[in-house]
Amino acid sequence: MVFNLPTKIICIGNRLQAQDAAALKIYDILRTRKLPENCRLIEGGLAGLNLLSQLEDGGRIVFVDTVTGFTGPGRTVILSVEQVIATFENGGYDHAAGLPYLLAILPRVCTGSLPEEIIVLGIEYDANGDLLNDSIFLEKTADLTMKLARNGLKDNRKQ
Amino acid sequence: MTIIAKRINIPVNRSEGDLEISVEIENNVVVNAWSSGTMFRGFEEMMIGRGPLDGLVITPRICGICSLTHLYAAAEALDELAGITPPDNALRLRNLALMCECIQSDLRQAVLMFMADFANQKVYAELPLAAEALRRYKPLSGKSVFSVIKESKRLLEIIAIIGGQWPHTSFMVPGGVTFRPELPELLQCRMICSHFHNWYEEQVLGCSLARWREVESCTDLDNWLAENPAHAGSEVGFFIRFSRQAGLDKFGGGNDCFISYDSLRLPEKSSIQGQSGHLLQAGFVKKEKLHKFDSRLISEDLRRTWYNSQYPPLHPEDGETLPGIPVINDDDRYSWIKAPRYQDMAAETGPLAEALIADDQLIKDIVKNQGSSVMVRELARLLRPAVFLPPMATWIDELIADHDAPFYHKVKEIPDGSGSGMIQAARGALGHWVEIRNQRISRYQIITPTAWNGSPRDTAGRRGPWEEALIGTPIKDEQNPVAAGHVIRSFDPCLVCAVHTISRRKKAGQLNLGI
Repeated sequence: MVFNLPTKIICIGNRLQAQDAAALKIYDILRTRKLPENCRLIEGGLAGLNLLSQLEDGGRIVFVDTVTGFTGPGRTVILSVEQVIATFENGGYDHAAGLPYLLAILPRVCTGSLPEEIIVLGIEYDANGDLLNDSIFLEKTADLTMKLARNGLKDNRKQ
Repeated sequence: MTIIAKRINIPVNRSEGDLEISVEIENNVVVNAWSSGTMFRGFEEMMIGRGPLDGLVITPRICGICSLTHLYAAAEALDELAGITPPDNALRLRNLALMCECIQSDLRQAVLMFMADFANQKVYAELPLAAEALRRYKPLSGKSVFSVIKESKRLLEIIAIIGGQWPHTSFMVPGGVTFRPELPELLQCRMICSHFHNWYEEQVLGCSLARWREVESCTDLDNWLAENPAHAGSEVGFFIRFSRQAGLDKFGGGNDCFISYDSLRLPEKSSIQGQSGHLLQAGFVKKEKLHKFDSRLISEDLRRTWYNSQYPPLHPEDGETLPGIPVINDDDRYSWIKAPRYQDMAAETGPLAEALIADDQLIKDIVKNQGSSVMVRELARLLRPAVFLPPMATWIDELIADHDAPFYHKVKEIPDGSGSGMIQAARGALGHWVEIRNQRISRYQIITPTAWNGSPRDTAGRRGPWEEALIGTPIKDEQNPVAAGHVIRSFDPCLVCAVHTISRRKKAGQLNLGI
């Protein structure tokens, strides 16, 4: 099986920080699954701006990252690039710039082909929950990630 | 009459980690300063009980910006423990990667973080160079911003080629490196290095490296600026002209003590020369006089930190990292950063220290005639690639010529004992000290460059380097104390790497910074 577009799934976060580690749990789950040959799974970690080189080959990009303030704790939300960039407070670069800066600067510094589609799957942090050990939630989120990777946003607007 | 100083907190964004700065101001000038690292990390404690090699994987996670430097220091500590010297080709690859990481950090810090303030129209709109600063450094649209991101990204491909990825590569191991690049990969590295060299000359210097090396004094610098529009218009030329207009050569000096470790170990057979077997030499400079460096004179003073401090200041081989209970708003103890001292003195580390210890004539002349300042500290950072690029090219050429030679000497086991890895990271002197007992890590101590620069006061009440550098800084507008930000940012502070969530809510408060 191949996807209709070459796709990269990029999971972002910090394994050493529980409140930022959920996307890397999704990475760990997806790593055990057989992915189509035109789908690459990438542990984005804290690479931030250094993910630029992963975004210059066209195709579809599905980011998975932790978010706060978009939906209820322990839920997922699909964000547009514009929504992510809108969280960018000062417009400048710093070591914490992360995904908002990366997506804002991408069209201006891309030296290859821009992605045809960029999707951000946000996992809302749950301060009171135990998201990282909720295997049902993590499996469901991994399934959703694969669905987004396969079809893009088509039919995935409603969760 | 009693003059009551006013104490304010300084917001410092575009910094790595959780940093709080507060200052006392009299007559619009900083008269006292406190720097507080507000996050306990505890990597040292995490290491205890683990296998000897675990430091190679865990300590690079201390930072997402300078991860490779931690890998290098951890590997050197294990080399020493194992009593092994890696083969020449391994040293070349290790050095090459470390230099790439430093250069990308230097240029991103300078253009994307430090000079971003030059585009602050609330502060600098009246300066003659303000409009040009905006064209160059405005976030997300400045031409220099785009250029630095593109070129630094390209340079990092060298680390990706030889180390598999960046950040958080793991290609260095005791005894050498895990990867033997093929000729086409080395040729690709050579091409990237050459491309970057040309860009650095054209855009950052505005002249060849050979011409730049002729600039050895303040007078030479003025002549160089006037000699050619390409010089004045280069990043270095513009930085100097803007800095002078903004008065950045007038404050931010510090305590005139500087420290560097030996770094970038030289291959046995190489045309690159250095001192004591390294490209960068260790040293301690006090009041412009260079002293021989002795690592045994390093100690960590915990008296004003939130760590348990029942012992007198200890050498990191004997030190501990045991957290106490922080009492917020206690001026007596106010930071999670320890206070490293050399011969009981606070010392600045980083590109400026490296240049002074390496006897860089231009930097020495500026410090001698104008004193240390924000401008010369940041200038040293912009100029460090000029030191690194020639040996990088040579080492790649030597790798190409000798690529059949070994890249690894077998290490059967790491014996019990103690070892240290002391190198120069992008921000300055970095040391790892490890002790192995019964095949487990029994002690691991790390002193980062920012611990040197951002340390709190010590037992004797001596301020840390950037606390000292803040003294005398003009604060024209307490609501926008940009000059104090310049001072702190000129040290390129890097406290931690932690949380990067996307947040819809605006951050509250003015002190806690980014990551």
